[in-house]
Amino acid sequence: MFSFLNPGFLWALPLAGIPILIHFLSKRRLPEIRFPTVMFLRALEPREIRRLRLREILLLILRTLAILLLVCAFARPSVQPKAAAARAAAAVAVVIDDSESMGAMDEQGRPRIEGARERGLAIVDAARGGDEIAITTTTGPDAPLANRSGDRVRLTRTVRQIGATWLPGNVEQALERARRFLGRSSLRAHEVYVISDFQATNFTKGAREKVALLSRAGARVVLLPVVSSRVPNHAIEDLDPALRAGPQGKGLEMRARLVNHADAPSERLSVRARLGDALIGGGDVTLQADESRWASLPIDWRAGAGAAAEIKGKAPVVVESDVDALAGDDRRFAVLGAPRRLRVLRIVESRAGEPASRFTALALDPAQDGSGGYVVETGTPASLLGLGRSRYDVVLLEDIASLSSDAEGRLRSFLREGGGLVIGLGPHADLDYYGHKLFPGVVDLALEGTERASEGQAFEIRARAPAHPILEGLSLAVGSPLTQSRLTAVSKGRITSSRAEAIVTTTGGLPVVVAAQQVSIFLGSFSDDWGDLPYSGAFVPLVRGLVDHAARAASLESGDLSLVGRPPTAHLDTAPPGAVVVSGPESYRSQATVASDGSGFRAVADAPAPVPGFYVFEAGGREAAVAAVNPDPIESDLRPVSMESLQAGSPDPPRSILTVRSLRTHLRDMRQGRELWLLFLVLAAVALAGELALASARTVAP
Amino acid sequence: MAKTSQRLLDPHFVSKLARLDLRARLVVDGFLTGLHKSPYHGFSVEFAEHRQYMPGDPLRHLDWKVLAKSDRKYLKQYEEETNLRATLLIDTSASMSYSSHGLTKLDYARQLAASLAYLMLRQKDAVGMYAFANGRGELIPPRSTPSHLRQLLVLLERLEAAGGTDFASSLHALAERVKQRGLIVILSDLLDDTERIASAIHHFRHRKHEVLVFHVLDPQETTFQFEREATYIDLESGDRVTTRPQELRVDYRSRVKGWMDKIREFCVEKQADYVAVSTDTPYDRALLEYLSKRARLL
Repeated sequence: MFSFLNPGFLWALPLAGIPILIHFLSKRRLPEIRFPTVMFLRALEPREIRRLRLREILLLILRTLAILLLVCAFARPSVQPKAAAARAAAAVAVVIDDSESMGAMDEQGRPRIEGARERGLAIVDAARGGDEIAITTTTGPDAPLANRSGDRVRLTRTVRQIGATWLPGNVEQALERARRFLGRSSLRAHEVYVISDFQATNFTKGAREKVALLSRAGARVVLLPVVSSRVPNHAIEDLDPALRAGPQGKGLEMRARLVNHADAPSERLSVRARLGDALIGGGDVTLQADESRWASLPIDWRAGAGAAAEIKGKAPVVVESDVDALAGDDRRFAVLGAPRRLRVLRIVESRAGEPASRFTALALDPAQDGSGGYVVETGTPASLLGLGRSRYDVVLLEDIASLSSDAEGRLRSFLREGGGLVIGLGPHADLDYYGHKLFPGVVDLALEGTERASEGQAFEIRARAPAHPILEGLSLAVGSPLTQSRLTAVSKGRITSSRAEAIVTTTGGLPVVVAAQQVSIFLGSFSDDWGDLPYSGAFVPLVRGLVDHAARAASLESGDLSLVGRPPTAHLDTAPPGAVVVSGPESYRSQATVASDGSGFRAVADAPAPVPGFYVFEAGGREAAVAAVNPDPIESDLRPVSMESLQAGSPDPPRSILTVRSLRTHLRDMRQGRELWLLFLVLAAVALAGELALASARTVAP
Repeated sequence: MAKTSQRLLDPHFVSKLARLDLRARLVVDGFLTGLHKSPYHGFSVEFAEHRQYMPGDPLRHLDWKVLAKSDRKYLKQYEEETNLRATLLIDTSASMSYSSHGLTKLDYARQLAASLAYLMLRQKDAVGMYAFANGRGELIPPRSTPSHLRQLLVLLERLEAAGGTDFASSLHALAERVKQRGLIVILSDLLDDTERIASAIHHFRHRKHEVLVFHVLDPQETTFQFEREATYIDLESGDRVTTRPQELRVDYRSRVKGWMDKIREFCVEKQADYVAVSTDTPYDRALLEYLSKRARLL
């Protein structure tokens, strides 16, 4: 529908008659010239006059048109995009992403949330009297929208109060809230504005389907990205709370998992570990594009002595790296236990009077005194009957034929308590027992007999996932040979789910090392039954890696690490004398619920942690435990999803508007109609230019 | 001296003088003075009655008195030495009244005719005049007496441009009346049907007359340098055409040039001399053309 916003100017339309008037007046006042003869003029007349008349008419039309367009331009013509629907009041749902990534800097070097607020305010400003507007955030609770309002002041205040949180966004849930709001509205016109950095990790398949669903339901969906491209960002993704012995058993080191979310290698990152205000360790790391790996940081535990009180033998440590686009993920909190050695129960069997192989024992504890970082005890399958989490961290089954049901039951219970398991499937292992009895519920690996190398053609084994912690002690690239040793046979295994991963394989693709939660499987012999692996340089780091992986997974399950948005959780060794109170940053205080968890007590705060930091559990006026709370690292990858993927599958694809200025124009067009004064002005200029060109072209050079 | 003679040949300067006879004399005198430096150097009408004796000349014409006084030999020449009979034909149609800069085509033709008559009489040629328009004309038969000039000038003085040309009828009528062959000098803008003009010239040529055509045009007629859109009224027919000069200028010039070329072609074909003169063309060009023609005739 076409209309004028300044119709008063239309009174000037009669001005368009001026050229016509001038034309006729000038015709009437033509001078008369007496000339000797007009015979030459008359000869030219028919052809020329026709051309001249046509040109005169054209000139007259152009002049009149120019004035008409000019007058119309001043009257501010506008056109409604969808006639009556656009003029009518609309139910407007505004989804503002306030996830952690919105705290990152945008292309202008300001927090993305500022750009989001600016866009939100533009939408509120453009609201008309009858509009119903609801604002929701992507980290908000999944409840009916409370801030549904047509009150502009209140809406403005709501938008201004939105800030970036420490939580991952749930766009799908926010869109569902928007859909429910629109469904409840009695207004026919529905609009949805999604203001976000459109992080790929937040815009899941479910979120994309919601966008398509809204669009199919007739809502006008507008996507408002606050950034247009991926911003490089590195993050400390994880910390291993267990300190371990340094190289060759000297000193201590802690491990931090660093990730570089970028299309190019990172600069040299400086990583520092602090205990209170004291710097206790650190190092420099350079990461490849999109690389994620564990880095070992040398720690001087004594440097922090006295800097911060340990709580029940645990120390709150902060690990920081250089700050980049998203500062929140460049710092991570961890509660490190006092350094202690991993306790390994090694289960072996003696056969036909031969002593059991000692290769793994030597690999873990060469001096047999615990100086290698591991305390190794050797036992038989019967030893498993006395297995307890309080005594051992990891059980190593070394080519054991099978376990009694009692021993197996105890082992499963050990795993449930957070223990780790390493299994070597050598020539004496009953693969049928392992495949059908022990593995179900422990690791998703099917076993299909033994694969022997043909004569003189030993298996070559290669790293399939070189960055995996199991291979941390080896410097490897994908596909590079793990060892020069000859393997003559391997147990033939097949991974049956994504919960297990082949870390090392033969050249033919048979898994040799498989990793799962709390479990490391070696599908070969730890002795020299199937080749000379124990004599190669890779043997010691491989065995240590298998044990470390099993132990580390176990410790992560201990639940001492909490995420922002969830209640802080802590493990208490003894029953608290009274009510447990949790205090944390930003005046956080909460009661905690305590329950027995087998090896002690598990205290869970009643209120979720709003920000990262240390949360102290107090019972009876004394500090009982401390929990480290960190943001979910899923927000670290600042890669935006492609707009095309959000626009696919909709009959009326959502429109994407990049800048605030374009958004304001769009809103004005939507609310008041698209203003065409500029177009009219340009057309008037074109008409005038055409008139000038035509008028000057008629003058023939003398 | 040369500068003064140039001024005397300028149509605009001469037109400011009141008396036609004076104007004619000034033009011819200026012209003759200028001739001393012209390609016709050595040709002199001043010595038309006396000529230096050359071996072989008949002694009976020797001027003995001069020989006795100055011991130089001159020949006495007789008035009857020349037999050129010239008739000046002046177009007085309405189109000749056009002027774009003060001097009408008729004024120019009048002045040129007076000058030619004066020059011819000084050369002892017989001069007649025929002023024509609308198919009719007034004829003064050729005579060579000095007093004849006055009669011619009186006619010229009272000429007024009026009516159509009907060039052919007027000239055919004259061709029938002028029995003795001679030189026919036409001063006209030739605004008539070219075929009829050609037939009239052919008629004169058929009667063994020599024909010299002075095509008198105003500069605006050839350049069409008008700027504004206007209604153009034909001076003879009264026809009106409204047009924009700037739009037609190029085509107009091309057509006028074609028309003049066509007249020139049929003049060449009929062995008539054609001289296009503009009303701002100095008179000496026309006089030179005449003298050149006369030289060829005698």
